[in-house]
Amino acid sequence: MKLAVLSCIHGNLEALETVLHDVETQGCDRIICLGDLVGYGPYPNEVVDRIRSLEIPTVQGCWDEDIVEGLNACECSYPSLLAEKRGLRAHEWTNQVVRDDVREYLAQLPVSLRDGNLCFVHGSPNSQHEYLMPELDGFIALERVLSTEADVLFCGHTHIPYVRSLDDTKISISVKQIHPDGPQSAPVEQSLSTPIKRLVNAGSVGEPRHGRPNATYVIYDTESEAVGLRELPYDYEKTCAAIVEQGLPKIFAWRLSQGLEFAERADDPQHLCQR
Amino acid sequence: MTDLFSEQSHWAILSGLEGNLTAYNAVLDDIRKQAIPVDAIYILGDVVGLHPQCSQLLEQLRSPQAGEPSPQICTGWWEEQCFNLHGVGPDPQAFALKERYGDEGVEALWNAVPREQVEWLRSLDFGFMELDALLIHGSTVGYDDELTPDTPASVLLDRLIRADANQLFCGRSGLAFEYCLKSGQIASRLTTLDGSQAPISQILKPRKVVGVGSVGRIPNQASYCLYCPTTNKVEFRQIS
Repeated sequence: MKLAVLSCIHGNLEALETVLHDVETQGCDRIICLGDLVGYGPYPNEVVDRIRSLEIPTVQGCWDEDIVEGLNACECSYPSLLAEKRGLRAHEWTNQVVRDDVREYLAQLPVSLRDGNLCFVHGSPNSQHEYLMPELDGFIALERVLSTEADVLFCGHTHIPYVRSLDDTKISISVKQIHPDGPQSAPVEQSLSTPIKRLVNAGSVGEPRHGRPNATYVIYDTESEAVGLRELPYDYEKTCAAIVEQGLPKIFAWRLSQGLEFAERADDPQHLCQR
Repeated sequence: MTDLFSEQSHWAILSGLEGNLTAYNAVLDDIRKQAIPVDAIYILGDVVGLHPQCSQLLEQLRSPQAGEPSPQICTGWWEEQCFNLHGVGPDPQAFALKERYGDEGVEALWNAVPREQVEWLRSLDFGFMELDALLIHGSTVGYDDELTPDTPASVLLDRLIRADANQLFCGRSGLAFEYCLKSGQIASRLTTLDGSQAPISQILKPRKVVGVGSVGRIPNQASYCLYCPTTNKVEFRQIS
């Protein structure tokens, strides 16, 4: 079975339609969405309507959560103060235009989905707001996959697609426990190893940050376990024009056209969510 | 050649006093008896609790008598419950406290810790980073992050790497244990849209998580640990 995994559409209907067409062309049997249907982009209601009409299983993204809960998110929500300032403006705009039924739909989305040995989340198993960057420490990356008890963890949120294979893991430990009413036990020695685990980031359909303006998503073949990273050009200028027309910050149109966030580089992109 | 690290000193690391002044004083007595001097005392949270001596214990900690050590204290789960009860914590409805101790627990804690003591508790640290060691109640994840001898190695590694620490001393579980991550490796291969990178092998340097036990949680059984930062040795102390 060919599984298409999309993430971070961000109200970019033009990009979504391009990806959906490609998914069909590639002969995918199923689609799963990793959230962030809204935020930044000009068509939040339309994107949600499209996802709902296709009955695509979807997890809740950080933007989806924030539109439901209000801006209560942890400090990991934005990579910098400047990004936060602009994000607040986008949040206000999105919050004003989303319909009640859209908000209700976003509210009931699960934070994770499971399908056999596959697990799907937006940011990380800990939080929709935690970034699992491609250069994340290997042992931490392994912990995030192990915590789901899956073999493959699909995530988004970073807007940078990647496949990270974690292999040949061995950890040697010794544990000494002191019992209050007994003699001190000798340390117990153990050697642990894990089979290959993978972290697959689906990138972003509607707001890429990998250096080009193209939409990205991934295709996973459940039989061969092969992962294909897909990158698709689309008419991003149409979305850029709509961003400006709707009164969203012009910088969103600029960065969409660049596929980067030069103006809003993270102070600490390795920062791990504390909640 | 002179051994630069021959000078020996100890840190006494305690947690879970839970208002038990008698147990705390028994630990202080034991600390005074040590042949190798203890030059720092750390209390990793849960100073307060439901014990009737709670207020007296706080007074002693706030105003040590002459010759009595001044411990460095950070906040724990019980302190967070106090903050919640007084509307300055993350859970103003005190759901976590009610779930575990019921309405009686809420009332008992409210009565045990006067408002001015809560203000003092709020001035305490969340944790301490000393040399390469993080001393904290739960972990950087939160007060209720309970690390035990059964916690998976990957989780402990996460907590250590998050804090950029080689040693992590914690108190949440109340258990006394020494969990050494002695060695390890992981191979990682990354593929992006721009191609595959060469595989990277990462080696795990030795790290350690120590549960320091509990001074006041179990009646008549106080436990704490002594740590020598120069030799990295941990000694567990049990007092009846």
